[in-house]
Amino acid sequence: MNIRWYHLALWTAFIVGMFFLPQLVSKGTLRTIIFANYLAIFAISWDVLSGRTGYVSFGHPFLIGLGAYTTAILTKRFDVPVEISIPAAVLVTMVGGSLLFLPALRVRGSYFALVTLAFMELMYQLVQVIRPDLTGGTRGMSGIQTLTRGAVNGYYLSFGLIASLGFGMWLLMKTRLGTALSAIGMNEEAVRGSGLNTTKLKLAAFMLSAFVAGLGGAFYVHYLGSIAPRALFDINFVFTIIVAAILGGASTIIGPIFGAFFLTFLLEYLRPYLPGAERYFIYGGIALVLYMFEPKGLHHVLQMALSAIKGKSRS
Amino acid sequence: MTSLLTVSNLVKKFGGLTATNDVSFTVEKGDSLALIGPNGAGKTTIFSQIMGEVRQTSGTIHLAGRDIGGMSTAARIRHGISRTYQVPRPFSDMTVLENIRVGLMPDNLTQMVFGRVDHDREEALALSVGLAPQDLHRSPSELSMGDLRKLEMARTMATNPNVMLLDEVFAGLTVGEIAQISELIQSMRREGMTFLIVSHDLKALEPLVDRAIAINQGQKIAEGSFSEVMDNEAVVASYLGG
Amino acid sequence: MLQIIIQGLLLSGLYALIAVGFTLIFSIGRVLNLAYGAYLMIGGYSYFYFSQILGLPKIAGVVIAALIGVVTGLLIYRLVVKTLKGDSVAIEIATLILAVVLQAGVVLLFGDASKILLPIIPGVVRVEGAAVTYNVLVATVASWVILISLYLFVRRTHMGRAMQAVSMDVKGAAISGIDPDRVNMVTWGISGALGAIAGVFFASYTQLYPGMWVSPLIIAVAVVIVGGIGSIIGTLIVAHVIGYMEVIVTSAIAPELRGVVTMLLIIGVLVLRPKGLFGREEL
Repeated sequence: MNIRWYHLALWTAFIVGMFFLPQLVSKGTLRTIIFANYLAIFAISWDVLSGRTGYVSFGHPFLIGLGAYTTAILTKRFDVPVEISIPAAVLVTMVGGSLLFLPALRVRGSYFALVTLAFMELMYQLVQVIRPDLTGGTRGMSGIQTLTRGAVNGYYLSFGLIASLGFGMWLLMKTRLGTALSAIGMNEEAVRGSGLNTTKLKLAAFMLSAFVAGLGGAFYVHYLGSIAPRALFDINFVFTIIVAAILGGASTIIGPIFGAFFLTFLLEYLRPYLPGAERYFIYGGIALVLYMFEPKGLHHVLQMALSAIKGKSRS
Repeated sequence: MTSLLTVSNLVKKFGGLTATNDVSFTVEKGDSLALIGPNGAGKTTIFSQIMGEVRQTSGTIHLAGRDIGGMSTAARIRHGISRTYQVPRPFSDMTVLENIRVGLMPDNLTQMVFGRVDHDREEALALSVGLAPQDLHRSPSELSMGDLRKLEMARTMATNPNVMLLDEVFAGLTVGEIAQISELIQSMRREGMTFLIVSHDLKALEPLVDRAIAINQGQKIAEGSFSEVMDNEAVVASYLGG
Repeated sequence: MLQIIIQGLLLSGLYALIAVGFTLIFSIGRVLNLAYGAYLMIGGYSYFYFSQILGLPKIAGVVIAALIGVVTGLLIYRLVVKTLKGDSVAIEIATLILAVVLQAGVVLLFGDASKILLPIIPGVVRVEGAAVTYNVLVATVASWVILISLYLFVRRTHMGRAMQAVSMDVKGAAISGIDPDRVNMVTWGISGALGAIAGVFFASYTQLYPGMWVSPLIIAVAVVIVGGIGSIIGTLIVAHVIGYMEVIVTSAIAPELRGVVTMLLIIGVLVLRPKGLFGREEL
């Protein structure tokens, strides 16, 4: 797809709109948007790894948690300033990403998905057992330093993050690196047969994914101000991330963002009618049906609709 | 002068089964060698060992004097050897040109990110194997078997090999497509490409090769000119005996 | 010492029962059914509803739970697995989503709070100072009976042999006149029943709550990974390795670490021996 002037115009209008959004909507809606922004970051992180290379991660909270816990512990227990603790968190997450990468050298497909699940469970149990004086054990931590005050600033920060991460990843994935990563997902043997070192490419995908997850996790914990292991290392959280990515459209950047917003707002609109966990029943059902019959996601559906409209207006 | 490709005393054992049993041969630059034998003789296993997709139990493989027997597949390809597969394996969600782009990529992350895509080269490669201009932006699922083989040739050529291993290039093709692929291989030979070819279609194979070796049950049973090998009693017996 | 041996035996029997239905699907359909844990949840809740709320006899509760498990298994196979035509990644993701949906369904019907299952047979027996509830004893005996009958079914019956054939080579089996689709249906049905029955015992061993499907799923995953895809005997052995390891860690080191060791075992085996300790692929 070539970039046309109206693409630029649309995006500029979108960014200006997002800039003035806090003046237009309620604080509550703003908080929902903030959550959607972070979910979008996590979904992009998942997608760079799993959506493209086909190495499905069922343990993404392992990476997010590494970032979140690192900065939370550093700032709360050791009074490290966030300027240092957040980069440190990203680094630790990338080290964790290379741990996750080790099994990917030997196994793929189902086995890889299972081992990532084991990583998440391991992390869940470890944070409760090892040095609970640092991690806060089962109850987690609260009173973690927040970076911003109020919904408006939180919104600007999260929007700035998703905008820059999304744009950066979009640029990167447009290059041949993105093509090569997608090629691994389609046929890893044939990528090797094209003279490319797939180990190196996969490591790049893991590192990119860990970078985004670590950054997202670190900023998220500094937005929430608290962290609890059961909410974080939870299969429902895995589910939300994966569904956001595939519902929007895997192997794209706009897809996971779109999916994250769709999911978050669906969840919000269902809240008055179904207050508890029952909402998962509705949106899980929607996700399942959509995934089974339109695996390319909403992004693809919209694109088809758009080109159909264009086709009509031209003729 | 060293040969371009030298395979010496290659042995591959899978558990108790010996799939390749002490096979040696050489291919000179510009040469074209046929590898023939009945089903299950071990031809594809030899290809896989030369490419490093399967590691040999013992024996050596040299490419232009360099020992490649311990290298990864990707490293061997960068040293100038490449193969096609019995069943073409395109990247299904990419266009024809993007498929070729993967073959053209440098094995270097920085260059992948910052280098420019050579659209002209992609197109030239696609056209040179005889793909039609209107097919370039199609997806592989819309192509015929013959065009898929052409695409596979183009992607293999994109890695800039000195030697190409072709595995069952004529399988599943129509008579017209066989003629096109055959013509393509002959024109590449005129330009100096070196080939090692496996095919069951002996009639189509004959004009493409200078020499042949016959394999049966993992062992080399004959070597020589194509007609010599075809007249060899052991070879005839191996085909009749299955 | 004796306490460890008995505890390990009891826990391992339960683990074997939990894992075997999952292994069955993995070895025959080459499919990872992440909704497997949900069978246990459904089994546990069905038993709770029919025997504890409606007051049916306990054995009827178990049978009804098993039947509901069969139906669930068959529905998942028909509606999800067949529709996705063997795309293993898509099936994994779809069954994970399904598991969450089923969990939410249980919350809708029974609420969020955890329920206590009354023991199937009340009472405690003391063996050399180790207290063993009859309930756990019944669970272990039942799981051995079920595993042995499953083994005999696979080895001795026509259908069982057809399942073995499909697990080795789908195409070969199809050529020899076996209908892989029928074999798959039977397998998914059996797996559903096994999961549901395991769920009744598992829930009476721990407790009944909507999130209860995750940990048995992880146990099943651990057994499959450590043992390699396949054999019933292998499943039994690995279930005992994991069961005993957890019991030993619990009593010798710290109860909190029992899960950690299992996870480390999964990761270690996958990294060092990707095909599992036994590495078999047939049933």
